[in-house]
Amino acid sequence: MISFIARRTAALVVAVLLASIAVFMVPYVTPGDPVRKIIRSRVAGDVVDASSIQALSDSLGLQDPLPVQYLRWLGRFCTGDMGLSHISRTPVVEQVMPALAVTVSLVILALGAAALISLPLGITAALREGRRTDKIITTITQSFIAMPEYWLAPLLVLVFALRLAVLPSAGWTGPASMVLPVATLALRPISYFTSAARSGMIDALAADHVNAARSRGLSYPQAVLRHVVPNGLLPLTTLFAVWFAGLLGGSVIVEVIFAVPGMGRLLYDAVLNSDIPLAQGGVVVVVALAVVVTTAADFVHQLLNPRLGGRLG
Amino acid sequence: MTEGLVIEDLHTGTGGTRSILSGVSLSVNPGEFVALVGGSGCGKTMTAMSILQLLPPHVHVQSGSIRLGSQELATADEGVLNSVRGGGIGMLYQQPKRMFNPRKTIASHLKEPLKRHCGLQGKAADAKVLELLAEVGFDEPRLGAQAKAHQLSGGMAQRAMTALALAGAPDILLADEPTSSLDKMLEVQVLQLLDRERRERGLGILYITHNIRTVAQFADKVLVMEEGTIVESGPAQEVLNYPRSPYTKRLLEAASLAPEGNRGPRQGQPVPESRVPERGVQERREVLTLERVSKDFRTKRRASKRGNRPALSDISLRLGQGEILGVLGQSGSGKSTLARSIIGLENIDSGRISLNLQHAALQDVRRQDAGLQDAGRAVQHSPVQLVFQEPHDSFDPRMRLRTSLEAPLLRRKDLTKDERSARILQAIEEVGLDPGLLDRLPGQCSGGQLQRLTIARALLLEPSILICDEATSALDALTQRLVLNLLLRLHRDKGLSLVLISHDMDVIRYMSDRVAVLFKGRLVEVAETGEFFTRPQHEHSQALVSAALPVCELLSRTVRPQTTARLFPAEAT
Repeated sequence: MISFIARRTAALVVAVLLASIAVFMVPYVTPGDPVRKIIRSRVAGDVVDASSIQALSDSLGLQDPLPVQYLRWLGRFCTGDMGLSHISRTPVVEQVMPALAVTVSLVILALGAAALISLPLGITAALREGRRTDKIITTITQSFIAMPEYWLAPLLVLVFALRLAVLPSAGWTGPASMVLPVATLALRPISYFTSAARSGMIDALAADHVNAARSRGLSYPQAVLRHVVPNGLLPLTTLFAVWFAGLLGGSVIVEVIFAVPGMGRLLYDAVLNSDIPLAQGGVVVVVALAVVVTTAADFVHQLLNPRLGGRLG
Repeated sequence: MTEGLVIEDLHTGTGGTRSILSGVSLSVNPGEFVALVGGSGCGKTMTAMSILQLLPPHVHVQSGSIRLGSQELATADEGVLNSVRGGGIGMLYQQPKRMFNPRKTIASHLKEPLKRHCGLQGKAADAKVLELLAEVGFDEPRLGAQAKAHQLSGGMAQRAMTALALAGAPDILLADEPTSSLDKMLEVQVLQLLDRERRERGLGILYITHNIRTVAQFADKVLVMEEGTIVESGPAQEVLNYPRSPYTKRLLEAASLAPEGNRGPRQGQPVPESRVPERGVQERREVLTLERVSKDFRTKRRASKRGNRPALSDISLRLGQGEILGVLGQSGSGKSTLARSIIGLENIDSGRISLNLQHAALQDVRRQDAGLQDAGRAVQHSPVQLVFQEPHDSFDPRMRLRTSLEAPLLRRKDLTKDERSARILQAIEEVGLDPGLLDRLPGQCSGGQLQRLTIARALLLEPSILICDEATSALDALTQRLVLNLLLRLHRDKGLSLVLISHDMDVIRYMSDRVAVLFKGRLVEVAETGEFFTRPQHEHSQALVSAALPVCELLSRTVRPQTTARLFPAEAT
């Protein structure tokens, strides 16, 4: 049990470190002079003359071997010093953290909405397996898979913001402005969650112990509530976590289209403007969060495995 | 006030032309042990499910009456039925572990009927849970209550389910093959437990089984069911001693793999030259030799844990030419590991398994020194074949049987397509099946047919040694006998040497020349069959032998308490 946690945590650290090495290398592998790029991310004022560049390069240790530079960079990063944005000339961390908060709340809202909609749908479909209700639910939710965000988002804007004028088309200023981005982002999880809930429930319904429970005098609804729903839906927790990590990256399109000031948009802009420090900081934070959430999902999965009796093992 | 169960002229069916039960009538009085016996698919389980009205979708009780005391159940509404289910009538199922929600503890299961039928909650329910578990024989009820089904052994899970069925204080207990998945010793324990409940609280028991032997000792009344109708009923002694219907006779015959009749099919046959009548092991040439074979599945870290042990430790065993060696052991004793090691599906840790066959020099010697096993796998014409336990699992469900049977032959490059078909046809005839079966899918065949097909498949490669790993355990008594006799015939006609692995004492006694007993991965006894069953040496063997009383002995006894006391002195005190 401890070894499982230790192994997983080690894998997590390794994944984040590998990502950070790749990110650290960005100034060196992109076109242009890495020394100038790095100086620009460390010094607020403009530096143009060769002698000051040389002096700064020495004082920042840019002549040291790369591994040494990497460790120094990593140390600064871990203390929250991600350097200065090339464009806005303000510390990267001040831009990354608010954006992260926005994206995380967008993703959580979308996942919450998806769960609230899809779980009842999946349960209903399973209980009516093969009948008309099941077919309608399955057909509609499955069709959501084929609706990409970049197609759906403009459509929603067209209908709700322009034609009906009931919701704002952009921004992240209040509940109303959140509806369209959340709806867009929730659509595909809805279809996957519904189908997972349905099949989980169908398996759980077919288990022998459900009939056994009824032979003890539990009514059908009681048996379903006590023995089918928990068993059928608990495995979905892992799916939620996987989707959480997936949507962190997948929210870029939604954030750009709806002008949501989140991580996706931040990174999009950073890349377009070649704002290397901003992109570096953003990517490392997003990767770390995604890996942490996925690992947490693994732990939860282990805890829910009845064979392990609720222990991590 | 205990009440009896009366069923009159019960018809259950799908509504279409097919009826599952036609005109079943039976009664179970308080304190009565009624056995309902029949082959698989005869409608036994449907009878139980009709009583509880928990039939599969599309199956309904069409007419007839099911009464518990004065309460009519056939037409009752769900509310009434829910108070009867578990409250008036308890249910025991086959495969106890699958009848518990794997995510919930035993205690949480037990509290459902306690709340529903006895109105017990909170502390009172907790206390009652422990009381029930102690009653069914949990030494430490507290631990049992916190356990989940998978943490219990098969026997303990069946006890827990008995506690669950008794929790609502029912008058009648329906027991649907509750011991079929358990080995002999556990089976007897469960039956004893039920018998005690019957005596002490006047529980009426309807015990459903395919094996008439199981209940011979306990039943007051025996009902024999064939194709949805009861073909014979009467007091147990009468039905078992003087069966009237041909079906009952067949069932009894199949069930009595008793020592008296066992050599029947073999006596009077001309003895093949390879089979010397005085069959001392020493006189036979050894064909398979195991020397100090050990296998340990544990990782180093876990080896120190209490209760853990190697799967096989230090097994030395010989199989003579044309011999039938019975390997006896309870679940978890290492029987299957042994079989898998012999044919090379499992790498052994130490020791040596070697073959000594006439054509071995020409072909190949399948030998297993650790690490040398791949040599054995390359054999084209395999001298050792394995027949698995679960026939439905040993065929690809999407492959026609002809294709499945042909697969092992495809490695014989020297055979043409016609020769392959000829061989398959020959093998099918040998096991007594219709070649028409070959164009079916496994799902379209019965367990008995499939098990004979697995044997046919094993024969295709002309083995000298056939290893049967619980080959008949999944079959009902009639089919079991059919398959066993087939094995005996093949053994006789082809001079096959057999290793027969089973937990079933009767099968071993019926078939084997010698018996080897595995206990916790060790070989504790090897003896001639007659010797073994009369004078078992090891403590474990003695326990096994005493648990497996032949039916004829039981029938000669009329007074049940005596029998029980004699058999199980520990239980009586």
